[in-house]
Amino acid sequence: MRDDPSVVALVVRARSGDKSAWDEIVERYAPLVWSICHRHRLASADVDDVGQSVWLRLVEQLTALREPAALPGWIATTASRECVRVLRNTQRQGRLETSIDPESAGENVIVEQELLADERHTALRRAFVQLPDRCRQLLSLLVSDPPAPYTEISAKLHMPIGSIGPNRARCLDRLRTSPALAALIDVEQAGGVA
Amino acid sequence: MTGQWWTDDDQLAAALGAALRPVPERFVDAGRAAFAWRDIDAELAALTYDSAADRLVGAGTRAGSAPSRELTFAAGDVTIDVEITNEAVLGQVVPPEPGEVRVTPATGTATAAEIDEVGCFVIRPVPAGTFRLDCRTGSGRRVVTGWLRA
Repeated sequence: MRDDPSVVALVVRARSGDKSAWDEIVERYAPLVWSICHRHRLASADVDDVGQSVWLRLVEQLTALREPAALPGWIATTASRECVRVLRNTQRQGRLETSIDPESAGENVIVEQELLADERHTALRRAFVQLPDRCRQLLSLLVSDPPAPYTEISAKLHMPIGSIGPNRARCLDRLRTSPALAALIDVEQAGGVA
Repeated sequence: MTGQWWTDDDQLAAALGAALRPVPERFVDAGRAAFAWRDIDAELAALTYDSAADRLVGAGTRAGSAPSRELTFAAGDVTIDVEITNEAVLGQVVPPEPGEVRVTPATGTATAAEIDEVGCFVIRPVPAGTFRLDCRTGSGRRVVTGWLRA
């Protein structure tokens, strides 16, 4: 959530030189930066470049950040601008034909969508770690890419193939009703986010 | 409350799959390491001009004709002009004063080059990846540019 008090606390601690708080910020938001890079279809070396630029900038801006609560938005916007810069550079070298505009409505939409997806993913990860072991094992196998076949799941978890489907439904329901996810669902319902 | 991503099992499972997709450890590690750049003891020279940003998008530059890129960094009365060609990074510190410039990559070890009496320096070859220029003059002044990529 964008006004997550834990984010503010992390920023305040990192500002005062707490390396573990900084690490937590990076671990928490690296998936957001990663995802934005992939939205821009950057090559692997460029993804690393953008990541580095975002964190180096954040280190310098940490004390200047007026609203620590706005950190996710700052990270997403900076990452998107860096992606555009890299793509422009590629274009400058004649390797890309399409035009990119960092201020375009498209970029703002990407930032908004990625921030929303990131909130969902964070809530899902928090909800997931609260699940019983059996549910976590089963869901991990089912949502892996590519998904594990039922025969393999059955062998690994000693679970009859016929009960994989019902267990999946039960575990997903536990996920849905866990406090971390229920809180987000409440917010999204109230806000009318599609 | 129909049609929401959390009500449908398949959509919820897909969202969970995306949430659990790991980010490579080296990507996260590079971020953790960036903290070492906090509070460096130098003046920071901000980027005030970049010819790459100036060039209009879609202006029709093509491979082979890529011109050199010019950048200017400024900190107080000190200006660092930088030109990046295919072969080298050429620079001049104004007002001119001899000294040393270190090319500091975001990860890895720094290399050094001399700043001559007219404030000029040459860095060859062009550094790969993200780097910054750390200029130290004879009179003890130290100015560090923002991060750049060739």
